[in-house]
Amino acid sequence: MTEPTATPAPRDPLDSAPPRPQNPVLAHPVTSAVIGVLVAAAILGTLIVPIYAHITPKLGDFPFFYWYQLIYMPAVAVVLWTAMLLQRRLRRPDDAGTADTAGDPVPGGAR
Amino acid sequence: MSNVNAVVFTIVVVLFVLVTFIGFAAARWRRAEDMLHLNEWGLGGRSYGTFIGWFLLGGDLYTAYTFIAVPALVFGSGSIGFFAVSYTIMVFPIAFIFLPRLWSICRVHNYITPADFIRGRYGSRGLGLATAFTGILSLMPYIALQLVGIQAVLTVMGVATSSTNTYVKDTPLFVAFVVLAVYTYVSGLRAPAAISFVKDTLIYVFVLVAVFYIPTRLGGWSHIFGAAQTHMAAINPTTKEPNGTFIPTTKSIGSTQFDFATLALGSALALFIYPHTITGALATKRRDVVKRNMALLPAYSVLLACIALFGYMAIADKTTAAEVKKAGNTQLAVPYLLQHMFPSWFTGIAFAGIIIGALVPAAIMAIASANLFTRNIFKEFFKPDATPRLETRVSQWASLVIKFGALAFAVWLPHTFAINLQLLGGVWILQIFPMLVFGLYTRWFHRWALLAGWATGMIYGTIAAYNVHNATSSHWASSSDIVFGHSVYVGFTAFVLNLIVTVVLTVVFNALKVPAGTDETLPHQYTADPEGAPVAAPAGVGAVSD
Repeated sequence: MTEPTATPAPRDPLDSAPPRPQNPVLAHPVTSAVIGVLVAAAILGTLIVPIYAHITPKLGDFPFFYWYQLIYMPAVAVVLWTAMLLQRRLRRPDDAGTADTAGDPVPGGAR
Repeated sequence: MSNVNAVVFTIVVVLFVLVTFIGFAAARWRRAEDMLHLNEWGLGGRSYGTFIGWFLLGGDLYTAYTFIAVPALVFGSGSIGFFAVSYTIMVFPIAFIFLPRLWSICRVHNYITPADFIRGRYGSRGLGLATAFTGILSLMPYIALQLVGIQAVLTVMGVATSSTNTYVKDTPLFVAFVVLAVYTYVSGLRAPAAISFVKDTLIYVFVLVAVFYIPTRLGGWSHIFGAAQTHMAAINPTTKEPNGTFIPTTKSIGSTQFDFATLALGSALALFIYPHTITGALATKRRDVVKRNMALLPAYSVLLACIALFGYMAIADKTTAAEVKKAGNTQLAVPYLLQHMFPSWFTGIAFAGIIIGALVPAAIMAIASANLFTRNIFKEFFKPDATPRLETRVSQWASLVIKFGALAFAVWLPHTFAINLQLLGGVWILQIFPMLVFGLYTRWFHRWALLAGWATGMIYGTIAAYNVHNATSSHWASSSDIVFGHSVYVGFTAFVLNLIVTVVLTVVFNALKVPAGTDETLPHQYTADPEGAPVAAPAGVGAVSD
């Protein structure tokens, strides 16, 4: 194998053995949780339509339904950029300084 | 051609010639030693950074048809058209979750198409074929609709109405498309990547100018929203119901909040499953480039929101509204609006933006379909020992055939046919979601269960979409049908059925110990971020699952 990665010994993908302590998600539970909440909030804020299916309060002449969606776009951009920066902190200590094993936003399935 | 505005026509032609020149010159852009490799022709050398990647993906995701159809829906039905805005917001956090994993595994194994991954993950040629088949089937009408978008602009320009003869009438469309087909053949993905700079710039300029300028001509936003609200509440004499909704309603049937949410979610889940968006994503050079672009692309969604508002502006402008009504085609709302509001030279820029905006996604869609055909049908079933050189040649020819198929589609079949099929395309492509996205995380799902779930979703979705009816049409009336007394997006219902079948049959097949196939991927490869261009996948390293 030529992949530059720190993970040893390929294992069965169905492997259910307890993750090693250097698992980036387990090593940084708070950061991981924050990333999860940020990404989930970005999705749910537009998926749950009753939040914004209203005419008031208006912003200028824009009914709430319309300005909410417009404002939500830059908000999602900022949230995802933050999540990306936070993910860099999930890198395992032995990989510090390389970009090769960035963490993954969802714990399930990630090693 | 008597009513063609010379200034508009000249500007459109000049910009089209410029783009054609760029399309051919792109073959030499960031040139590789061996261009006859699918990584080069089909993925632009997998070398694009954040900047080019943003333009390429932006030009790829936001198609000209979207720019015509979304405001048309807003013009005709009101707030439900804004599902497209909601969907282009939530698509990025969703893709942020799974797209980096897909990028990594495709990079490590040198996968070029989503079907390559599915074949490798489940050790199933059949599942790969199902993916390739669905991808090509969904993209063909989508390419055709880009042509419908061009036709809408040409009609308003006056160049498409001069004759009743199809060949004469559509000559400009033929010319545009033949030119597109040839430079895509020559330059591959490099052509749309280079042209996307022109497209995105033109679209940005015309939308931002329009969204600030047009309201000053129409008595401000309060008048635009006021006119829209009044129009939507008015009773339509044909259907005896309101024209549309200004805000999604809390009722159970019609343009409801639930319908809005399922349309947005279903479309968002589908967008990064479409082979052409995956092609754009795989053309980037690093894992972080994908993530950065998920954070940066919402900037393009702002444009889509502005364009959706054009639908309300067209209602507020009485001349435009009357002309659209006379033509009986809501898709002309935006072209007519621009023509009335702007001086000729600026209308020319806007129209050129929409036409060029159609060429970029059409090229990428043709390349993505051609790659699917080459890798997952031709090589897989007919010529397993095909060299990279032969693969590239086959892909080049396939892209031509696919383009001319789409052209025939747009010219000879009624437009409603292409529109209905594209609606179905979204429903169909969503049925790949479980095998592709869940497959990035787990091998628990059984390959034959996934195939059965896919088939269920395809069949249900097709029949259900065909049967949707309302007061004015007996079939294909909209993309939502009524399930348990609620309006729901057809694709979403089909997706849920697909999931149920997949889960139940997985339990059954696993209990019966039906062989699960060989998995050639390894867990750590899903987070890998190799710097160099990929080498051929190492043979025989796959861990055997189950």
